Amino acid sequence: MKSKALKIVFVFVALVFLVGLAGSGKVMSAEPYNLGVALGFTGTGTLYSKDQLEGIHVAVDEINAKGGFLGKYPIKVFQRDTQTKPDVGVREVKDLILRDKVRAVINDYSSAVAVAVKPICREYKTLHIAAISNSENITKINYSPYTFQVVPNSYMQAKAAVLAIAKMAKDKGWKEYVTLASDYEWGRSTQEEVVKELKKVAPQLKLKKEFWPRLGETQFTSFITSIMAMKPDFVYPCLASKDNVSFIEQARPYGFFEKVTFAGGMVSVTELIIEAKTVPRGLVSITRAPFFAHLDVPMMVNFVKNYRAKYKKYPSDWAVMGYDAVYSLKQGIEKAKTIDTDKVKDAMKGLTVDLTRGKLRFRPIDNQLSCSSYVGVVGDDPKYPFPILKDVIEVKGAESERPEAEIVAARKAEQK
Amino acid sequence: MEFSFLFSQFLSGLTYGMILFLVASGLSLIFGVMNILNFAHATLWLIGAYFCYSFWYLMQGYNFALWVSIPLAGFACAAVGWVTEIVLIKHIYKRELHEQLLITYALALIFADLIKIVWGPTDRLIARPPAIQKPVFIFGAPFDSYFIFVILAGFAVALGLWWFLKYTRYGHIVKAAVFSREMVGALGIPIPKIYTWVFTLGIFIAGFAGGVQAPIGSVNLGMDIAIIIQAFCVVVIGGFGSLLGTLVGAIIVGEVFSFAILYWPAGAMVLIFVITAAILIIRPWGLFGTPMRT
Repeated sequence: MKSKALKIVFVFVALVFLVGLAGSGKVMSAEPYNLGVALGFTGTGTLYSKDQLEGIHVAVDEINAKGGFLGKYPIKVFQRDTQTKPDVGVREVKDLILRDKVRAVINDYSSAVAVAVKPICREYKTLHIAAISNSENITKINYSPYTFQVVPNSYMQAKAAVLAIAKMAKDKGWKEYVTLASDYEWGRSTQEEVVKELKKVAPQLKLKKEFWPRLGETQFTSFITSIMAMKPDFVYPCLASKDNVSFIEQARPYGFFEKVTFAGGMVSVTELIIEAKTVPRGLVSITRAPFFAHLDVPMMVNFVKNYRAKYKKYPSDWAVMGYDAVYSLKQGIEKAKTIDTDKVKDAMKGLTVDLTRGKLRFRPIDNQLSCSSYVGVVGDDPKYPFPILKDVIEVKGAESERPEAEIVAARKAEQK
Repeated sequence: MEFSFLFSQFLSGLTYGMILFLVASGLSLIFGVMNILNFAHATLWLIGAYFCYSFWYLMQGYNFALWVSIPLAGFACAAVGWVTEIVLIKHIYKRELHEQLLITYALALIFADLIKIVWGPTDRLIARPPAIQKPVFIFGAPFDSYFIFVILAGFAVALGLWWFLKYTRYGHIVKAAVFSREMVGALGIPIPKIYTWVFTLGIFIAGFAGGVQAPIGSVNLGMDIAIIIQAFCVVVIGGFGSLLGTLVGAIIVGEVFSFAILYWPAGAMVLIFVITAAILIIRPWGLFGTPMRT
C-alpha cells in the first residue's frame, strides 16, 4: 500500500515537472528572438522600405543558418506596414510589442514615424533601430536609451556635403556659387546651415545668389536659364524628392549639367539603378551607404554576393543599412551574452561594431553610429549596368558629427 | 546684362506663361459662360498629365508616342469632364459662388484620391523622343527645344479658341449665352446642352494642357494644388471670361516671375500676389474683363 502511494506521488511529481518544462519552452524547442520590422511598405516610403526589408532578410538568413543570435535564438521576423504615417506607425509598433512580443523594432523610412515610435519603444523597453530615417532629432533631443541610429543623420550629411564640396572647391579653384533651395522650413534651414559651414571651411567661396523656388514648383525654367547665365562654379541644391526630380528633368534638356556643377543633392544607389539611363552624368551627389565604396570590406563582399544570389540585383543603400541594423543588434547581443533587452541596450551603448561599412562605433551620448557619408560624381562604370559614384570622397562620421556640447545644449533648451 | 541672356529669360517667362494660360483658359471659359468657379480644374489638368503618361507608356518605343499622347490626354479628360458635368456640375449652376468653390474643392479631393488609386503614389516620368532631348540655341543661349512646342501650343490654343468664338455658329451661341442665357433659351437653343459642351471643351483644354506638362519634369500628386493658385491669379489679372485677358494675364505672371527671380528671388511669387491684389482693388473685373453680371 505504502509503495503504491509512493508510486502515485512519483508519477504526479514527474508529470508536473514535465508539464512545467514544456510550458517553459526551454527544453522542447529553442526560444525564438522576435524581431519587429515596421516600415512604410505603402505610401512614399515604399521603394526604400522594400529594399531595406530585403537587406534585413539576408542578414536574418545568414544568422539563422548558424542557429540564430548566440547560436541558439533563431530570429523570427514580424513585418508591419506603417504606411509611412506616424499614427499608423505608432499603432503597428505597439501591436508588434504587445501581441508579437518583439524585443527590437527596425523602423522606419520616415523620420516623422521614427520620432513618433521612439517614446513607445522607450515605454515598453523595446530596442528601436532607425536604419534609414535620418532626422537628427531621432537621437539628438528627447533622448531614449533604447533608440539607435545606423544611418548618417541629417546634420552629418549636410556637414559631409560641405566638407566634400570645400575639398572640391580647393582642388578645382571654385570661387562662386549659388544656392537653389525649396522655400520652406527644411530648404531654408539646410541652406542656412550649408552657407554658414561653407563660410567656415572654404572662406574663399562667394555666395553669388540665393534662389527660392516654392515647395512643389512645377516650372523651373526661369531658374535654369538664370543660373546658367550667371555661370557660377557650382550650384548647391536643397531640393528634395519630387522637386529634385522635376528640376533635374527640366534642366537636362538645357545641357545644364554639362555646364554647371550641381553639387550636393542626394542620389542613392536606388536612383542610380532605376534611372540608369536618365540620371545626368557629372552630378556631384551625396549618398548614405553605397556598396561599391566598401568592396574592400569582406563583410560587404559577402553581403553583396548573398543579396545578389537571393534577389538577382545589386543592393541599394537602404538594403545595406537594413543588413547593418541586424548585425548591430547581433553584436550587441553577443557583448551582452543574453537577449535580455535592457542588457543588450546597455551593451550597445558606445559599442564598436563590425559592419559592411567598416568598424564603426555607437556614440554614447546619442547612440548615433559614427558612419560615413559618401560624395562622388555620377559616372558610368563598365563593371555595372548602371552608373555609380566615382572619385568618392568618404567623409567619416567623426568629421561630420555634431559636437557633443551642442547636443547637451539642445537637450537643456528642450527641457526649458 | 547680355541681350542673349535677357532674351532667354524672356522665353523662360513666356513658357511659364503659356503653361499657365493653357491651365487658366479652360477655367476662364467655364466661368465666363457658365458662371461656375471650378476649383477642381487643376486636378483635371493633373489627370490629363497622368493620361498622357499612360498613353505614352502604351506606345513607348515609337517616336510619335508623345505627340499622339498629348491630344489623346485631352480627349480622355474631356470624357471625364463630360460625365462630371452631367453627374455634378449641372446641379450647382444656381448655387452661390462660395458654395460652388466648396463643392468643386471636394471634387478635387475625390479626383486626387482616384488618381492615387489608379496610378499610385509613385512619380511618373516620360522619356522624351530624341529630337527634343537637346537644347536649341537662340542668340547663343541654350533653350529647351520642347518649350518651343509649349509656346506654340499655347498660342495655337489661344488662336483656336478665338477663331471658334468669333467665326463659328456655336461660338456665337456660346458668346450669346454669356450675355443673355434667357434670350438664347427663348430662341430654342438648349442651354443645358450648350453648358455641357462648354464644360467638356474647357476640360479638354485642361487635359491637353496636362499632356503638354507631362514631359516637363515628373508627373506627381500635388502638382495641381501648386498651379491652381497661379491659374486663379492669371484669370483675376486678365479678367474672368476674357480669352485675351487670360493670355495677357498669363504672360504678365510668367514674365514678372521670370525677371523677379533675378532681382528679388525670395519675393518673386509675392510680387505676383501683390499684382493680383492690386488688380482686385483697382479693377476687380480684371484688365480685359467686364463687371460681373448679376
